[in-house]
Amino acid sequence: MMPASNILKWARRNSPWLLHFNTGACNGCDIEAVALLTPRYDVERFGIKLEPSPRHADVLVVTGVVTKQCAPRLKTIYQQMPSPKFVIAIGACSCSGGIFQGCYGVSERLDKIIPVDVYIPGCPPKPEAIIQGVAKLLEKLKG
Amino acid sequence: MEMFENAVKILKEKMANEILEIRVPKPRRAYVLLKPEYHKKVISALMKNDENVMLSTITGVDLGNEIELNYHLACEGAVTLKNRVSREKPFTKTITDIIPGANLYEREVFDLLGVVFEGHPDLKRLMLPDNWPQGNYPLRRDWKPAVEREKNIVSEEASQTEQTEENDAGSLVNIIVGPQHPVLHEPERFSFKVDGERIIDVEQRLGYVHRGIEKAAERMMYFQDVFLVERICGICNAAHTTVFCQAVEDIGNIETPPRAQYLRTIIHELNRVHSHLLLLGVGGHLLGFEALFQHVWRDREPIMDIIERITGNRLMCGFNSIGGVRRDIDPNTIEKALKTIKDVRKRAIFYKTVFEEDATLRMRTEGVGVLSKTDAMKYCVVGPVARGSGINADVRKDDPYAAYDEIPFNVISYKECDTWARLMIRADEILESLDMIEYAFSHLPGGRLRVRVQRKIPEGEAVSRVEAPRGELIHYVKSDGTAYPYRVKVRSPTLANLVAFPDAIRGSYIADIPSVMGSLDPCFSCTDRMVFIDTKKGQKWYSNLDEVNYSKNRTV
Repeated sequence: MMPASNILKWARRNSPWLLHFNTGACNGCDIEAVALLTPRYDVERFGIKLEPSPRHADVLVVTGVVTKQCAPRLKTIYQQMPSPKFVIAIGACSCSGGIFQGCYGVSERLDKIIPVDVYIPGCPPKPEAIIQGVAKLLEKLKG
Repeated sequence: MEMFENAVKILKEKMANEILEIRVPKPRRAYVLLKPEYHKKVISALMKNDENVMLSTITGVDLGNEIELNYHLACEGAVTLKNRVSREKPFTKTITDIIPGANLYEREVFDLLGVVFEGHPDLKRLMLPDNWPQGNYPLRRDWKPAVEREKNIVSEEASQTEQTEENDAGSLVNIIVGPQHPVLHEPERFSFKVDGERIIDVEQRLGYVHRGIEKAAERMMYFQDVFLVERICGICNAAHTTVFCQAVEDIGNIETPPRAQYLRTIIHELNRVHSHLLLLGVGGHLLGFEALFQHVWRDREPIMDIIERITGNRLMCGFNSIGGVRRDIDPNTIEKALKTIKDVRKRAIFYKTVFEEDATLRMRTEGVGVLSKTDAMKYCVVGPVARGSGINADVRKDDPYAAYDEIPFNVISYKECDTWARLMIRADEILESLDMIEYAFSHLPGGRLRVRVQRKIPEGEAVSRVEAPRGELIHYVKSDGTAYPYRVKVRSPTLANLVAFPDAIRGSYIADIPSVMGSLDPCFSCTDRMVFIDTKKGQKWYSNLDEVNYSKNRTV
C-alpha cells in the first residue's frame, strides 16, 4: 500500500491550484497568465485551476514589481495560504525589479519579502515560457 | 478645428486682461499663461462658449520657485491654461464646482506635489501609501528618494485607510473586495455603501500599482523613456509609446516619415483589436458566460501572432522610437496578416450578433450601470465610455495624428448609455479597426522608417493626445534642453472614466458590480478594492469579486 504522504504528493502534483496576485504589474504578465487558461495554451490539462481565495490555493503566482502599498497585502496573502505553498514569480519585474528598480513607489524585491520557488524571466514571458516554469514546479512537487 | 479656433478667439479677444502670454505653435495646440488665480474665470468662459469643452487633466510642474498648474482642455485640440502658484504657499481655488470631473486630478496634484485646492469636496490621498510621511512630495524637483529610504519612514504595517474603514463600519456592512481579486487581475480598492441589495455610494482608493513612473522618467534619457512609458501598460503599450514619441517629436520639430506613420497606425489598431477582444472575453467571464470568454480569447491569439510577427513580441512591441519606427514589414507578413484579418472579421461579426441577440446577456447588461450623457459630459469621461453615452468624441477624428487623417473610418456611438452599449462599442470598433488595418496595408507608402534624432531635445513643452483602446490618452512633456526630460505627465483614460464610476453604479444591484466595472474596462496599471456597507443592518463581511459575481441570491 502507498503511504499517505505519497497520495498527498500525487494529488498535489495533479491539481495545483493557483492564486494570482498582481503587486504592481503593467498588465502584460497578467494577460499572458490569463491567456494560459484559454484554449490555445490550456494549462487545465495539468489540473491547474485559477483559485480566487488564498485559503484554497497551493501556488501563489506573483506578477509585477512589489509596490509599497501592496507589500503588506502580499505578506498577508502568503500567510493565509495553507502549507506546503509555492511561489512563482512571472516577469522581469517580479524576478528583479526590472525597469522599475529604484522608483519611489516600489518596495523591496519580491524574493526579499516572500520565498520564491520558480523565476520566469521575460517582459512579458511568452505563455510557453510560463508553462515551462509551471512544469518545472510540478517536477519539484514530485521530489 | 472650428471649436479650437473659437476657443483661441475667445481667449485672445475677451480674456486679454486675464492673460499674460498666449502661444499657438502649431494647429490644434495652444499654451496660455494666465495671471495668477484667473484660471477658474477663463475655464468657465470657455465652457460657457462651447459646452463640449472638456478637461483632460491637470499637470503640476515644479519650476523651482513656483508650481505651474497646467489645465489641459480638450476642444478638437488641446488648450493648456497655466496658473502659477507659489511653492512656499501652494494654495489655489478648486474647479470641481464647475467641472466635477476634476476631482481625481486635483487629488493627484495634491498628493504628489502638495498643492492645496481650496474648496475641493474631498481633498485626500490618492496615489501614495497611507503611511507615506507628510510633507514629502515626490514630484517636486528637489525630492530625493534616498532621504526617505534612509529614514525608513514607510513602515510595512497595513495601511491606515483600510483599518479605519473596517472600524468605522459600525452599523453598516462592509464587503471588501481586493486589493487581491481574481477577475480584473489588478489590485485596487472600492468601498461600496449598500442598502440591502442596492448600492448607494462608492468610494475609491487607488495607488496599489503606483510605482512612480513620472519621477523615473525624469532620470532617464528620452530614448530610454520610450521603453519606460511602454511599461506603463502592457495592453495599450503601443498607444503609450506613440503618444510619448509624438510629444518629443513635437518639441524637437522632428518630421516622421509617412511609412513610419502608417506602421504606427497599424500597430496601434492591432493593439486596439486585441484589447477590445480581451475585454469582450472578460466581459463574458464577469457575466458568468464562461464559454464566450474562452472563445473570444482563442480568436484573439491570431491577432497576437500578427503582432509578434511584425514587432518581435506578443505584448511589449518596442516598435516605436523617437523619429519613426524600429522595424520594417515585409510583403509575406502583410499577406499573412490580411488572411488572418479576414478570419478574425468573421468571428468578430459572430460575437457582435451574440452581444446583440443573446437574451441572457442582454438582460444582465441592458439598463445596468446607466451613465447619462449629461453626467458623462460633467465628469469628462473619454473613449468607449463616452461614446456609449452618446458623446461623439474620438481623438482619431477630433485631433488626427499618425496616418488617421488619411484612413477612412466611422466613429461609433450608442445612445443607450448602459453596460450593453459600452460592450457593443467595442464589438463595433473591432470591425472598424480591422478595416482600417486592411486599408493601411494596401496604402502603405514607401520610404524611410525613421529619421535620426539627437539625444538632446531643445527647450520646450508639448501636449500629445492619442485614442488608446480605453479612450483619450494624454502625455505632457517639458524639456529643458538636455537629454533628460524636465517633466513627463501621463493621464491614462481609466483615471478619467473612474470619476464617473460612482454615478454609473449608484442604484444598481451588488451582482451588477462586476459587469459595470468591466464595461468601463478599467486598467489600473495605467491609473492605479471593494467594501460594502449596509446602511440598515449591522453586518460586515469580506469578499472577493468572484464571490460577488455569484452573490445575487445571497441575503445581505
